[in-house]
Amino acid sequence: MVTKPPPSATALFSVSIGSSDPIYKQLVDQVRRLVAGGQLAAGDELPSVRDVARALVVNPMTVSKAYSQLETAGVLERRRGIGMAVAAQHSHAKKKADRIDLLRPTLERAATESAQLEIDTQSALDLFEKILKAKK
Amino acid sequence: MSQPILEMKSVCKSYTGKSALNGIDLSLTSGQVIGILGRNGAGKSTMLECALGLREIDAGQIKLFGESPAALSEASRARIGYVPQQNDLFEWLTAKQMLAYFRAFYTHWNDSKVAALMDRWSIPGDRVIAKLSGGEKQRLAIIRALGHDPQLLILDEPVASLDPAGRRDFLRELIERTIEQETTVVFSTHILSDLERVALEVAIMKDGKIALQQPLDTLAECARRLIGPTTVMNAQHFVGELSRTEDAAGHVNVVVIVGNHDSGQLEQLQAQGVIVEPVGLEDLFIEVTR
Repeated sequence: MVTKPPPSATALFSVSIGSSDPIYKQLVDQVRRLVAGGQLAAGDELPSVRDVARALVVNPMTVSKAYSQLETAGVLERRRGIGMAVAAQHSHAKKKADRIDLLRPTLERAATESAQLEIDTQSALDLFEKILKAKK
Repeated sequence: MSQPILEMKSVCKSYTGKSALNGIDLSLTSGQVIGILGRNGAGKSTMLECALGLREIDAGQIKLFGESPAALSEASRARIGYVPQQNDLFEWLTAKQMLAYFRAFYTHWNDSKVAALMDRWSIPGDRVIAKLSGGEKQRLAIIRALGHDPQLLILDEPVASLDPAGRRDFLRELIERTIEQETTVVFSTHILSDLERVALEVAIMKDGKIALQQPLDTLAECARRLIGPTTVMNAQHFVGELSRTEDAAGHVNVVVIVGNHDSGQLEQLQAQGVIVEPVGLEDLFIEVTR
């Protein structure tokens, strides 16, 4: 059996420094989103703590904390000799409603900033639509 | 629990009558990575120098690897790496000669690591140190401090004269070959983004004291700014209150480290129109050192 090599850390993760979200939480949220969206499937291996820490230039303890939380939450499981992999019960991408829930916190932040900038609803939606199309 | 690597208790120090440290309490365990923040003159360098036994203290107690820093054993000395803020490198020697000189002091010296860093950080080894640039001198001081694979690394503004690319190289080295080895790292800095990347904990100094010391994750999760009308806010006080200011428009601005017990209180306040928002490290620094 050929096992798929883990994706590179920089392809999976990005951290924003100076954000009010702690770095470990940013990593947790990113893994949850990738699993929910199906980009990471059950059994897929994650890059090692060391590789992620080196690639993102963050403390390995921070990466380790994120992986442990995901393990406790049942999203990841520790495989002997391999490292972390996506847990079996996450074999299917989540239902659309669940995926939308994961997007909510980011959109709520955007909504707050939009209100602070006194941008009307339609202009904010237009901008979001434009950004979505550019990513397609 | 293993013994602390460094322990400072009620440490005081003054220079010609002017107080520099005013009761420092700090305890570091193995593998801790702590960033020290503070405005210029807050006592950061003095604290690090006292911890290393480079300055006598007026009062209090310091234990470094369980010993008094003033009478440190050779074995403990060999476990410490230090990069001072002022580079006191031997200006008349070449970089290679200087490293050879320091190599002789230690029973263990990591030749391959030193050679790799000299190469990677492009330090001209045969040039006299006086002719090196500020950034090169700083990188050389870091290489010197890492050469004997110390268990405690103390860095006093290690990146002040490095450009962003140089800082990133330094952080990467710190992560790959120092933090991964469970080395305890203490570094003072003014660059918050560097601190957020590598430190697990932050201590903010003010007037010779540690005004705030917390894990970075705790601060991100628990530091909050509350803004509300005077009438509501003046009746509210919090255990973890860091600052409180009032503006001309009748709004009170409180920065607080929220504990579990506060969540009910916060919800009530939000219902009364108080805005609760997270506070980034930079704003926290401004509030604490105000």
